[in-house]
Amino acid sequence: MIKIDNLTYRYQADAPKALDDISLSFKTGDWVSIIGHNGSGKSTLVKLMMGILEGYSGEISVDGEVLTPDNLQRFRERFAIVFQNPDNQFVGATVEDDVAFGLENQGLPREVMLERTEAALEAVNMLAYRRHAPARLSGGQKQRVAIAGALAMEPAVLILDEATSMLDPEGRSDMLAILNDIHKTRTTTLIYITHDLGEIEDSDYAVIMKDGKVISEGTIEHIFSDTDTLIESRLVLPYQMQISRALLDGGYVTHDELVARL
Amino acid sequence: MLSSMLLGRYIPGDSIIHRLDPRAKIVSVVLFMIIVFFANHWIGYGLLILFVLGLIRTAQINLFFLFNGLKILLFILIFTFLLHIFFTRGGTTLVEWGFIQIDSEGVITGIYITVRLVMLLVITTILTLTTSPIELTDAIERLGSPLRKVKVPIHELAMMISISLRFIPTLMDETEKIIKAQSARGSTFMTGRLKSRINALIPIFIPLFISAFKRAEEMAVAMEVRGYTGEAGRTSYRELKWQLRDTAAILVVILFGVLLYMVRM
Repeated sequence: MIKIDNLTYRYQADAPKALDDISLSFKTGDWVSIIGHNGSGKSTLVKLMMGILEGYSGEISVDGEVLTPDNLQRFRERFAIVFQNPDNQFVGATVEDDVAFGLENQGLPREVMLERTEAALEAVNMLAYRRHAPARLSGGQKQRVAIAGALAMEPAVLILDEATSMLDPEGRSDMLAILNDIHKTRTTTLIYITHDLGEIEDSDYAVIMKDGKVISEGTIEHIFSDTDTLIESRLVLPYQMQISRALLDGGYVTHDELVARL
Repeated sequence: MLSSMLLGRYIPGDSIIHRLDPRAKIVSVVLFMIIVFFANHWIGYGLLILFVLGLIRTAQINLFFLFNGLKILLFILIFTFLLHIFFTRGGTTLVEWGFIQIDSEGVITGIYITVRLVMLLVITTILTLTTSPIELTDAIERLGSPLRKVKVPIHELAMMISISLRFIPTLMDETEKIIKAQSARGSTFMTGRLKSRINALIPIFIPLFISAFKRAEEMAVAMEVRGYTGEAGRTSYRELKWQLRDTAAILVVILFGVLLYMVRM
């Protein structure tokens, strides 16, 4: 379980609060989506959780262990993160080198690395590309390699920080399918950061952020039935919700339900 | 012209030379660079040429393709040749015209030195043509590891080389994009006087530098969260395996060196 208590953070002493008294808790194994516009504080939250930024007030803990400067390195090993830009997180010269990079850093023996690298590439359907250089891959493929690199480290929590925002629709749906698969077959907690309400359908829990505050949190049904907050968040509703609001009662529906009710 | 250039390029293949351990290849090339200087008359140089031609064949490199790729260096070769022709004295005088004097010794030395240069160029090109950059980096890291004792950060250097190589295509794409974007805004790079052409490059380099720094910063964060803390406690996924053929390759080069030394006059 991840617990965040009264977290407040400013980038500079005189700057406005990037995070304003945030308290959240996520269950182990859940797929949690954090939604908000640019500047809502969602990426800041993640950077704090991973100990990339310092100088916050409040408390972050995972499974009861509180993050302090002393346990930073060990704390980080529970997390793996996939960033937005596919090019700027590809360290290795080939696909398999990149997946193994994190494992090399942990000082694992070679046999373990080979095994884990292969399994992780298999999980994201990239095994056939293992010897390819990044220049020969599409953006979506690079992001899948990034997920494999994260999975290989067997993290308790996998964070995706707008990992699909630079991909084309096809790359995006591939990624979501892979995440769905991971969610079903592993106990890894997924934290999925996005500004697109259309991508959160498969999540167990969602948090909407605005100006450094949490304005809504709960199950997907709860998020979508809280119409006032949705309007306040100024996020674009997914199309089935727009149709539901225009033609039906405005309650939460999935694609299939919408089709059935129309 | 750039597309046919071979310096530093790698062409995948499956010849015995391709499959040699990169460390063996680097050591052989260094040895060869010394051996080249053993040759001091036409038999020696003849053997040298034969040996290199044999290597090119073994590495399955197209001869025409190789020399076409090295054409860009022709100027340097001609320059070296002329330098020796005009400034080496000795033997019979062939041409005397004003202050210019060409001796037979000059022509011979000119040819020898040019052959020597060509051999050096070809042998290093064979190395880079048959060895991928990552293998080369690995080999440099392993071969350089004794330097760690004198505090040379060899792991960091190898890491830097490998990341730089990895970013070359990315930055090439980026440059192309910026050139297109600036062209769309009406800037011209190919026409006008030299000064205005140089000025036109500034709007390309500044955005390129800014984005390179941004990339570097994101890369650093990505490496940090994946637990990179430098060399300490790190293991290696890549493995270099020294085999019998690698020892054999070095022996062949040494034997050739001995042969070349024996035919010296």
